[in-house]
Amino acid sequence: MEERELQKPHHVQLQIITTTTTTSTSPADVDVATEKALSKLSMLTRFHAGYFRISLSLCGQALLWKTLSEPTTDAHALRPIIRMLPSAAFVMLWSLALFTLVALCLLYAARCLFRFRSVRAEFAHHVGMNYLFAPWICWLLLLQSTPFLRPHTKSYLLLCWLFSLPILLLDVKIYGQWFTKGKKFLSMVANPTSQITVIGNLVGARAAAQMGWRESAVFMFSVGIAHYLVLFVTLYQRFLGSDSLPAMLRPVFFLFFAAPSMASLAWDTISSSFDTSCKMLFFLSLFLFASLVSRPALFRRSMKRFSVAWWAYSFPLTVLALAATEYAQEVKAEMANLLMLVLSVLSVLVTLVLMVFTALKPNDLLPHDDPFACSNLIPKA
Amino acid sequence: MENKDLQVQLSTKQGFPEELPSLLKCITSQTIAGFDSVECGGMNYQTQLVTIPNPQEDATAGKGLEAAELHGQVNVIFGPPPSSPVEATDCHEPHAISVSMPASPSGLHIVQAKKVLFIDKAGPTAIDGQPNQPSDSDSINSRQPQQGKFHSQPISAGNSCGKPTEGKVSDPFESQLRIPRNDSQRDKRFDPFKTWSGKLERQLSNLRGKPQEPDLEAANDCHSAENETVPAVDRYFDALEGPELDTLRATEVSVLPEDKKWPFLLRFPISSFGMCLGVSSQAILWKTLAISPSMSFLHVSLTVNLVLWCISLALMATIFLIYFLKIIFFFEAVRREYHHPIRVNFFFAPWIACLFLVLGLPPSVTVNVHAAIWYVLMAPIFCLELKIYGQWMSGGQRRLSKVANPSNHLSIVGNFVGALLGASMGLKEGPIFFFAVGLAHYTVLFVTLYQRLPTNATLPKELHPVFFLFVAAPSVACMAWAKIHGDFDYGSRIAYFIAMFLYASLAVRINFFRGFRFSLAWWAYTFPMTGAAVATIKYSMEVTNVLTQSLSVGLSAISTFTVTALLVSTIIHAFILHDLFPNDISIAITQKRPKFSKKLAHLRSASSDMKDIEASLPKNNPELEL
Repeated sequence: MEERELQKPHHVQLQIITTTTTTSTSPADVDVATEKALSKLSMLTRFHAGYFRISLSLCGQALLWKTLSEPTTDAHALRPIIRMLPSAAFVMLWSLALFTLVALCLLYAARCLFRFRSVRAEFAHHVGMNYLFAPWICWLLLLQSTPFLRPHTKSYLLLCWLFSLPILLLDVKIYGQWFTKGKKFLSMVANPTSQITVIGNLVGARAAAQMGWRESAVFMFSVGIAHYLVLFVTLYQRFLGSDSLPAMLRPVFFLFFAAPSMASLAWDTISSSFDTSCKMLFFLSLFLFASLVSRPALFRRSMKRFSVAWWAYSFPLTVLALAATEYAQEVKAEMANLLMLVLSVLSVLVTLVLMVFTALKPNDLLPHDDPFACSNLIPKA
Repeated sequence: MENKDLQVQLSTKQGFPEELPSLLKCITSQTIAGFDSVECGGMNYQTQLVTIPNPQEDATAGKGLEAAELHGQVNVIFGPPPSSPVEATDCHEPHAISVSMPASPSGLHIVQAKKVLFIDKAGPTAIDGQPNQPSDSDSINSRQPQQGKFHSQPISAGNSCGKPTEGKVSDPFESQLRIPRNDSQRDKRFDPFKTWSGKLERQLSNLRGKPQEPDLEAANDCHSAENETVPAVDRYFDALEGPELDTLRATEVSVLPEDKKWPFLLRFPISSFGMCLGVSSQAILWKTLAISPSMSFLHVSLTVNLVLWCISLALMATIFLIYFLKIIFFFEAVRREYHHPIRVNFFFAPWIACLFLVLGLPPSVTVNVHAAIWYVLMAPIFCLELKIYGQWMSGGQRRLSKVANPSNHLSIVGNFVGALLGASMGLKEGPIFFFAVGLAHYTVLFVTLYQRLPTNATLPKELHPVFFLFVAAPSVACMAWAKIHGDFDYGSRIAYFIAMFLYASLAVRINFFRGFRFSLAWWAYTFPMTGAAVATIKYSMEVTNVLTQSLSVGLSAISTFTVTALLVSTIIHAFILHDLFPNDISIAITQKRPKFSKKLAHLRSASSDMKDIEASLPKNNPELEL
């Protein structure tokens, strides 16, 4: 037994070296326990930050449910319906979101430990680097939707700081690369997932504003908006064409309308009212949503098989529904309420469908030919 | 016969080997007879087993001998071509006809023709155009009966689909009655650009003459097959040059005869709506001059506005009607205009002109306009926007870095004008919606145009009146923002000063706006000047001093003067020079680059330089749009 235990680290070491080239190689004599360990470790190679889309969606949903069930000054026709839903359902959703996020974070931590080279490769990839913002966004969203912490308590403050700091550090690193580093110029690396960096800043701004820290909120907001402007123009120009993004990742085009919706929400919280700028950002995101929804051909190829990229549909819809909620609260018109209802129902439905798909086809979530994972296997300097 | 003359013309023009003319001549005589006398059961055996060269591809039979041989192998008529599906069933004969003339000039029909040949051999039902066939052959086969007679006709100088414009041949009796007149030869060349390749005209003439059953399913099949015949964006860039992409390069040929004057409708471009834009913006200017308190020292009466408004209304109605007729009769040409990277922006012009008309409504006509009108006018703009901005975003052939040009401002300005009108009508959310969308996309366009990306082929190297469109968006945006907000605050002022700066930077370069061929599109470039004048008047209402007032007067004078000068030159071109509507070459480019383009360039006068030939690389496959 001792021998075996001694052998295990041996085998594990071998695995670390060899699985960078192949996903699973096993020595001639292997027992079940080692096999399990091996398979878990090989899963770590295929796992990447893009999987945080799942927790993004769930945390977004939690925030949406919380916002919808908040008591408001004006009793809309729709809010009572939502309040009829038992609050237990919300707590369940929140717990599910928390559990998923914790699990994914642990998995990613394990990946950092055992597959650091892959993590570095991911960081260098033009799509992968943006998803490094995703865990922090999820934590902030979860914090904002927590049912048991109030915004002005010390623990809330601390957690807020804890989660915003990595966003700021990543900002400096990635935005700095955009205009200084030779291979990573914006014109080279711009793709729709770069908008996640902007969303990260905006979520941080909103969280800070909710705590009452206006200056930091405006700081993060301005960083986010300035880079959003540059990114928006660059993405619309499509200098390199659509070949910078593989066809399987087309669902991330939905991020086009997630960013302005998030900006609208952030400015709403900063300026304490849904003023004209918020409305303009919200309308822009509505237009982009209509524009994308009227081009189903764009997504046809990516819809052929279920993959984790499908989860990219849910979070933008949720953010849009959130913005619609705030808009309906400001403009107390029938059309606005209808819009809010439609968008919320759509986002809930899409998330449910995605959860069902995930439950039915868990294998598809970890395919071998995930286009993003391939590049992780190539160690980059 | 005129046919022969044209062929001789063709062969001498190209200087191709002698085989071609003789073959053609051989067929000519046969086909004339065959053209007349197709009837049910009447076998026109003259047309049997005739190999016909199909100088179909390009107007000048660019493919030459190779094409002739290729088509010769393919285009074999096995039997008498029935003239309609009805006839075919009546005849009960296995007819197999291959298509040698597609409905539109294109390069893909070799493949189609081959396909059809094999399918035709399959059986007698091949001709009937029944829906149970594969769509390709279906469309081609259903076209054959109509085209059947004319396959045997060689194509006269440059056009496809030698269908007669008249003579719907479901009735053999009638077809005998319709002896092809000499001028019918001329009409057939424009058939590819006609709606359903001329079928609609025949139907209409049938309705006038004898009541015939219109062959609708064949028409629909035909129509569906034509969807693939519009050239891709790259072809427009390769084949055309000039700031408005309206001049054919020397290496290119047109599919329609260049020496002939085309039908009026075919020559009527969408940029004619620029005239409406120019005149209706003048109406707005004179209305603002009359009702602004800061301009009251001029004592301008509202009659000027009324007169201008009525003129612009009449003009609008006329141009709308003419273009509507063009859509009905020459839908293919309209489609090609829609795919032209510059002309597509002019599709916004009718709606913007309507918005201008409502904005410039004289107070004596009506004061309150119903909000429904705003929604009705903004709906087409919204749909067009979804389409065009979506193309920018999703990349592919029509991405912005490739097609950006100053005319794109027309697609942006519509948003601001709609916002201005909506805010004047008292609407709240709608104007903000369009303002937001317009602002976001304007930022993108502005940056792109300023960047002058190397991948952008459409920006003219020299200054051209189209650059005045730069001034349009900020000036209208400033007015819209002022109306939305209620007062002329900082946002409006920023937009206004940007507009003034751009105007000034263009005005001092006025010397460089010389030496351009007048075109009707120039009217569209006058409305920015008028817009800047109106914005200055609004600004002078806010900040009233001598400087702003004199600036208002000066800018209004410049804009009125420009419009008058343009009106004079339009009248001169229309009535004296008779070239107000020249042949619209930009819609008549070929699907593929002609193979003998270099020889063509030599043949033509050396107006183009060799750089064009060296720079343009042959592209064999028309790229598909995303």
